[in-house]
Amino acid sequence: MLTIAQLLEPLARHRTDEVVVTTMSVVRPWGRISDNDLDFASADSAMGHAADLALGIALARPGRGVICLNGDGSMLMSLGTLATVVEAAPRNYILVVSDNGEYEITGHQPVPAAGRIDHAALAEAAGFRNVFRFDEARAWTKRVTEVLCAPGPTFVHAVVEAGEQGPIGRGDHEQARYLRSSLAESARSVRAALTARPL
Amino acid sequence: MTVEAAPETVRGLMRAGITHVVGIPDNTSGPLFHETARHAAIRLITVAREGEAFAIACGLWMGGASPLVVVQNTGLLEAGDSLRGTALRMAAPIPILVTGRGYEKMSRSGLGAGHGVSLASLTRGDVDSAAVLTEPTLTAWGVPYRICGEHDDPVAAIEELVARAQESERPTALVLTRALP
Repeated sequence: MLTIAQLLEPLARHRTDEVVVTTMSVVRPWGRISDNDLDFASADSAMGHAADLALGIALARPGRGVICLNGDGSMLMSLGTLATVVEAAPRNYILVVSDNGEYEITGHQPVPAAGRIDHAALAEAAGFRNVFRFDEARAWTKRVTEVLCAPGPTFVHAVVEAGEQGPIGRGDHEQARYLRSSLAESARSVRAALTARPL
Repeated sequence: MTVEAAPETVRGLMRAGITHVVGIPDNTSGPLFHETARHAAIRLITVAREGEAFAIACGLWMGGASPLVVVQNTGLLEAGDSLRGTALRMAAPIPILVTGRGYEKMSRSGLGAGHGVSLASLTRGDVDSAAVLTEPTLTAWGVPYRICGEHDDPVAAIEELVARAQESERPTALVLTRALP
């Protein structure tokens, strides 16, 4: 298993100009190591739909990489998204499922079929162009640039240890900059950053 | 693709500046999906479940595109948390074309606008509860809407829907209770 830091730190080191959409237990850990105007937290938002939101951005901005850091519980809430992504076939889209087997935010309850469901196999069966599975840090660190450069849609199933993240809010009490503004303000901020750049 | 060469509804979408149609077809919107798929000027994104459509549309808007969500009223009801947590929460100017299943039955049954929701109306055999709940639900969610009925021009109504969403900077709906041209 990877720790959440082992998953996120190599990604933050190699990320260049990609949009990064986070949700649930990844939101704060990513906000601690990244402060970028193309970071967007799908928090205080719609459950299970971060991957869809990221897909929309990828389709609107085909020249820019879009990475969604999803959770396994969130993925299970909208498995049909896998089919929708494959049909839309964005080459600039990377969907990472951080699989800790539980609803960490709500107190470590197990997700359905925790430890049995194979997210990588689901993505492969759905028709993702590139599918990766990592359950230890060394292989992930070694191949992260390959993942970022692979033509999408790309799926990464990362088996991670559960952390201790609690409910996520928005406002000054949150440390991460991208959580200090409202969802509406944050969406407009990312929109302004994206539309100021070429497609 | 020029505006003149596209079918009437697609022409209307092009005039309104729509770049993507996102949703799931039903018998009413089927021709729109069919025609949109045939014309490269507007990209069709068919989703697996309606909740996806609102989040995808918001992502498209964040990326600078101008999407139109097209769902049946049944799918609208299914997608409640997605609409709430994305388009409403973001105040994103997403136009929503809602095709109204059950409106004809509701009209035949004698129920109409302002009828209210009751267990009696929801369980009547000659009424489709999807139609009974559509407008009260839009009102409860704070989504402004208009009805496009038999005597209205649906293409003009869709163009006006897009303009209303953009002007008001919020998700805005058009409930279509008639066929498209």
